[in-house]
Amino acid sequence: MEPGFPTKQARAAAQLRKGVLEYCVLALMRDRPRYGVELLQALEDSGALATSQGTVYPLLSRLRRDDLVTTTWQESVSGPPRRYYALTDSGRAALDEFSRVWPGFRDAVDAFLTASRPSTGDLT
Amino acid sequence: MKNLADPVRSYLSTVEREASALSADRRQELLADLAEHIEVTRAERPDATIGEVLAELGDPRTIAATALDEAGNGAAGASARGRADAPVRRGKVHPLVPLLMLTLSMPFMMVFTAAPGQLVGVLFRVTGAVLLCTSVHWTTARKTTGVLLAAVLPSVVIGTWNLSTGGPEAGAPALLANLAVLALLTGTAAWLWRVRRA
Repeated sequence: MEPGFPTKQARAAAQLRKGVLEYCVLALMRDRPRYGVELLQALEDSGALATSQGTVYPLLSRLRRDDLVTTTWQESVSGPPRRYYALTDSGRAALDEFSRVWPGFRDAVDAFLTASRPSTGDLT
Repeated sequence: MKNLADPVRSYLSTVEREASALSADRRQELLADLAEHIEVTRAERPDATIGEVLAELGDPRTIAATALDEAGNGAAGASARGRADAPVRRGKVHPLVPLLMLTLSMPFMMVFTAAPGQLVGVLFRVTGAVLLCTSVHWTTARKTTGVLLAAVLPSVVIGTWNLSTGGPEAGAPALLANLAVLALLTGTAAWLWRVRRA
């Protein structure tokens, strides 16, 4: 969270992030399995989706419980073994579904934001 | 690495404490994930201080709150894991209550040897065992051990003794046996108290 950012806007950003984060995490696994630190690094590098890293693990745990991802342990040349996360078929289906819905959603929001300019930027 | 273990341990135990409303397996999983993250990050970025690694992981309270949130979201979809929504139904009784009920049932039965006293003592023990089983403060394995040692075993021993001697009051050997059972109860309660979750 950016220091000095108004709380209400920070909350709006957090709400948005919460909605899309799991699909971004699933998307990161689209091409190959990834381990936790790797996933977090990619989110961190994205800027807008950067979040308190530890909060991604409960999300990963739920994705695993909901059978959207599976995990396997793999040895590493350096350091401890890593737990790799990979998409299951239903994970891939959920990701495809979101990919299908997202452009329409994004365009609709963009359309609202550019058509009318409300006097306050309050998204809640 | 040894000198670095303590901030990590204290960080993880803060998460554990903050996530006490989470079911036991869910909480252990979260702690294992975080511990693994710390280890992997330290292996990949040897220059980062442990303080930096923990700061990036974030506030234990936020992590615990997210985990509770996710557990709530997942409960509906994850019916296969029946224990997922258990913490909602479980009582929030102070951990001392079942322990005291289990332990005190014994001296109570030793003092009030007449029938109503025995009955009240047994009720205490049963209630204590039920409260122990429904508490959020122990893992299933510890609850089982606790109930076996502090309720089932004493009841079997006392029941067998009473059947073979014809009554609860039978002089010095009975007193010794009672004290031995009391010591077992106190020991079990002390162990449970020590291994409880906040």
